[in-house]
Parts: sequence; structure tokens; C-alpha cells
Amino acid sequence: MNTAVHLVHREEVMGLLDGELSPERAEFVATHFENCPECRQIADSLRSSSRSLSEWGAPTAASSPHFESRLSEIASATSRNTSRSGSVLLATFFRKHWLLSTGASTLAAAIALSLATSRSAKLSIPSQRTVSQMSERILSHDGQPISEGQARVFGGANLAKSPSNYDGSLIERSKNGPAPFAQGSLGAAIGRVGADSHGAYRRWLEKKGPTLGKLELEQGAVGPADRFSSSEPTQAPMIARTLSLSIVVKDFDKSRAFLDSALARHHGYAASLTANTQQASARSLQASLRIPANELSAALAELKTLGQVENETQGGEEVTQQHADLVARLKNSRDTERRLQAILLQRTGKISDVLAVEEQIARVRGEIEQMEAEQKSLEHRVDFAAIDLRLAEEYKAQLTAPSPSLSIRLHNALVRGYRDTFETAVGIVLFLLEFGPTILLWLVLVSPIVLFLRRRWLRVQTLAS
Amino acid sequence: MQAPLPMPVLNSEAVTPTAMTDTSAGPAPPETDETLMLSFSHGSSEAFTELFHRYRQPIHGFFYRRLSDPTHAEELAQEAFLALIRSVSRYEPRASFRTYLYAIALKILRAYRRKAAFRATFFGRSLSDPAKQDATESALLVRRAIAKLDPIEREILLLREFEQLSYSEIGGALHLPVNTVRSRLFRARMAFRQMLEERAPQPAPQDLPALGEQT
Repeated sequence: MNTAVHLVHREEVMGLLDGELSPERAEFVATHFENCPECRQIADSLRSSSRSLSEWGAPTAASSPHFESRLSEIASATSRNTSRSGSVLLATFFRKHWLLSTGASTLAAAIALSLATSRSAKLSIPSQRTVSQMSERILSHDGQPISEGQARVFGGANLAKSPSNYDGSLIERSKNGPAPFAQGSLGAAIGRVGADSHGAYRRWLEKKGPTLGKLELEQGAVGPADRFSSSEPTQAPMIARTLSLSIVVKDFDKSRAFLDSALARHHGYAASLTANTQQASARSLQASLRIPANELSAALAELKTLGQVENETQGGEEVTQQHADLVARLKNSRDTERRLQAILLQRTGKISDVLAVEEQIARVRGEIEQMEAEQKSLEHRVDFAAIDLRLAEEYKAQLTAPSPSLSIRLHNALVRGYRDTFETAVGIVLFLLEFGPTILLWLVLVSPIVLFLRRRWLRVQTLAS
Repeated sequence: MQAPLPMPVLNSEAVTPTAMTDTSAGPAPPETDETLMLSFSHGSSEAFTELFHRYRQPIHGFFYRRLSDPTHAEELAQEAFLALIRSVSRYEPRASFRTYLYAIALKILRAYRRKAAFRATFFGRSLSDPAKQDATESALLVRRAIAKLDPIEREILLLREFEQLSYSEIGGALHLPVNTVRSRLFRARMAFRQMLEERAPQPAPQDLPALGEQT
């Protein structure tokens, strides 16, 4: 059929009979249809096909009362369960819009996480006010606020409570912001104890009466003598201070220069210093500083201005008794030495006696020198506080990383490519040598089964079509 | 203008969509399939019973014409209704209910054919003779002619002639464009007509292969 003559396609005749044409087109085709014998012939043919098909009727479905009753039971149960309750609607929504739901859940989880994180950060960092309250609590005794002088003395009393091995320490962590108030005040209080106020301590002891009198008795019991009353009434407690600071700085070079200048300003020195300045990574510095005890507070305050203090630990070891023992033993040894020398000069005797006295003098001399060295070391520890300082840089990745020139990169790529190719080829050969025989064996074993199944499948397909 | 032209589809088993929506039939207009399905999804088991009675015979015929074993046809029809119950919560009245139901039936049919092919591969073929099922000679001829058609064209022809789906509904069920459905349906009808006219002796058709199984 020629559509140029007909203006109606054959399929449109079928569409007309099937009622699948638009009303306008159906009208046009129907008009054409009445005057076109060829189209009528096609229509007859189509109708004939349908009539033939209608002869292929299906038998009536066998009635199965059991199945029908069972089906209606299932339908009732399902309809009860799936009546569109809120949860079902929600489940349907999640099933249909799973991408949206997943995204929304992730967003909600992220928001909740960030909120929780910020809240826990707030809880973990006490405010300045809280810190100052804490420091007041530390410095007050029996709930009574005390004056600054008393606070200083009380700090000393605390340190003196167990004179032999006191390790009073204040550890404070701060993530945000500069050093809080408590550090400064308590640190200064502890620092000042060494410098003055033994008299104040005594006056306060007298006021406090029996409670702290006991403390005094304890000190008297463990010490060589009553230092406050008789032998060395004006000796202040000797405290060897140790501090540890971790600071994150922004400008590493500037901080380093500042550290050197601060050491010079406070007459301190660095016992050891290690700086790690690798490229393309955060630089760090670890130093063990010695600062004169009387300048410790000022130096500490300066060091804290370097950056954000991440960790601070302060400790003080009471060495008063140790030092007093050492002084007493030294005095005794010197007296012994003097007496021995007097014996040697004034008495006469056998050579063996003279030699025995000289031997004793040499021994005592050795002891004296050893104790003098120990005394110097102890005094140095008291005079110079040890600061263990760690500086870390806030690392910022550099966009312009130094890269080798193009020719070197090309050369390197070429060498790497050649090496990789060679290694791959060697790997393939090694693999084939190692596993080739096994693979061949498996192929021989498996191929008959595969071929059999394939032949069987093809036969079924042929039969089915 | 279409009124004097008889519709080519004469099979009385098929449920015509117009029969469901005919509002002039009586005082209480029957509910559409879509309304019944929505009622079922809202908890009315009576709606499902009504749907079951409406579509029990068409679904049985659907499987009967595509399978050789009537026992299996009945079994698969029951399975289709069970699947319809299970999937009620996913039903949305965007497409017509008939398209939805026949899409379920097609899925079940494909699954059955896959299993049957697997069983035939490993345990041999045990199919009854279809000639015994079709009582009349003309039905056997029709069956043989249908079996010779291209699988997709055969499916389109069956869906149009017996399930009375529109071109767009067939396209939706088989994932084909409407124009393709129209042209292939025309080709199938012409080929079927020609085969009937030849009346040549044909080999007994076996189980009709499923769509998509032929590569």
C-alpha cells in the first residue's frame, strides 16, 4: 500500500479499529476508510485474525473454595496490617525516597554531633569565673576566705606537710584562650613562698593553735632539729620548682626568637633544646630551660604569650630538710677533719698511727667534697626552676610545594615506567611458571563439564523456541 | 464514526475497561478497579474479594495461554493474587490497576520460566502434550500459529487480544515505546493471519518461551 496515495498508514487502520486514534485523526481515517477498498481489506483481515484468536478460549478457572477462603483470610490480615497508618506511610515514604531520607538523616546526625561536640567542649573548659572560684576554694581553709598573705603562707604549709617527699602539683589543661587567672595567682603564691614570709608563716601558726601545732611537731620529729626555734631560725623553705608547658604557636620563627630573648632577659639558659623543622610538616621544638626562681613568674607569663597553652603542669619538691641534713653532716665532717688535723699536728706516735690518721683525713675530705657538690646541686635546683617546654606549630599546608623541574620529572617517570613494565613482565612470567600447570590441569578437568552443560542448555533453548 | 465498525477484539473473557466505568448501567455505579485497590490498601478486604472475582478468570486465561500445563496455570494465578496482596502497600493509582496486575503476572511468568528452564537443563524435560489440552482443532491451529511468532510480538498480540491492554499499557508492561508496540502489533497480526491462511502442518508447540529469554 502506498501511503502517498492513501494519506493513511496501514497501522492507522488498526489504530482505528482498536480505538487508539485521537478523535480528529479517527474521523479522518474513518472517512477515508469508507472509500478505500484496500483499507477495508486490511480491516477485514484484522477482524478475521481476532475472530480466529477468540477460538482459543481458556477453560473456566477451577473453583478452589479452600484457596479462596485462605486468600480472603490473608487479605483481611494484610489489610489490617497495611491500613495506611502513620508508620506504614512513613515506611513507604522512606522506601520511595530513600536517597532523600538518607541525606536528611546524615544531615541531622551531623548537626546533632556538632551540637553535642560544642556542648561537651563547653563543659570541659571551665570559664574564667569557675577557675577563679576553684582557686579560691583551693586557697581557702575550712571554708573561710583568707588574706593574700595567709594564702601564700598556707601554700607553704601545704608544701611542708610531708617534707620528705612532697610532690604538690597543679595540673591545668586549657584548650581555648590564654592562661586563666588561677594559674597566675596560685603559681605566684607558690613562687613567693620561697622568697619571703617565713615570719608570716610562724605568726599564722601561732594563731591557728593546736591543729597546725601538730604539723610543727611532725616537722620537728622528722627534721634534725627545730629549725624554727633554735639552729637556723630564718631559713626559708627550699623548693625545687619544675614546670611543663605545651604551647601551640602560629609563627614558629618568631616564637623561637622570642624564646631566646626571654631567656636572656631573665638570665636563664637552655639545658637542652631540640628543634624539628622538617619541610611540609608542622615544626616543633622541645627544650629544657633553667630560669632563676625569683624570675620564674615573669618568665612563665612571657612564655604563655607565645601561643595557645595546651597543657601546663607545675610541681614543687620541698628540699629544705634534705639541705639542712646535708649542711649538718658537712659541718660534722669539717669538725672531724679539723680534729684529725689537730691530732696529726699535736700528737706524736708511730708511723703506722700517723698513716692511719692521714687515711681518715683523706676519707673525711672525700666525703666533704661529695657533700659540697651535692649541696651545690641542691641549691642550683632551688635557685633555677626547670621548665620543660614544648612548642608546636600550627601547620598550614603550602600550596606552592617545591617541585622538581619538568625534565627531571620526565626522566623519573620514564625510569619508573621502564622499571614497572619490566617488573610486570617478570611478574607475569613468574605467575605463569608458578600457576600455569595448575591452571591447565583445572581447565582439562572442568572443560568437559562446561561443554556438556552448554550443549544441554542450547538443546533446551532450541526446544523451547 | 467508530460506532458502525466492529471492534476486532472479540474475546469475551477479557475484561473491558469501559465495563468497569459504565455509570449508566444501574442506580449504583460499580467501583473502578483503582478505587477498589485503594480501598483494599486502606483496609477493606471486601474490595479485594471483588477484585479477585473480577480478575480470576482473566488471570487464569493469561497463564493458561502462555503455559502448556493447566495445573501450573492455576498455581501461578493463585501466586499472582498472593503477590498482589503482598504488594498492596506499594500500589499507587498512577497507572491503571490492570497494568499493575499484568505486570505482576508477567514477572511471575518469567520467574516460572527461568525455574522451568533450569529444571529442564538438569533433570530433563517433562512436559505434557499441549494438543490434549486444546479441545478443538481450530484452537490447536491458533496455538501453533501463535507459537511461531516472534516472542515480543507474540506477547504484544496476546496482551492486546486477550488482556485488552491499550498500546500505552502494553508499552508500560513490556518497557517499550508506544510506536514500537503499534508497529509490532500490526506486524504480529499480519503474520498470524498469514500463518493461519497457509494451514500448513506444524510441529506441536511446546511451552512458549518467555520474553527476554531468547538472545
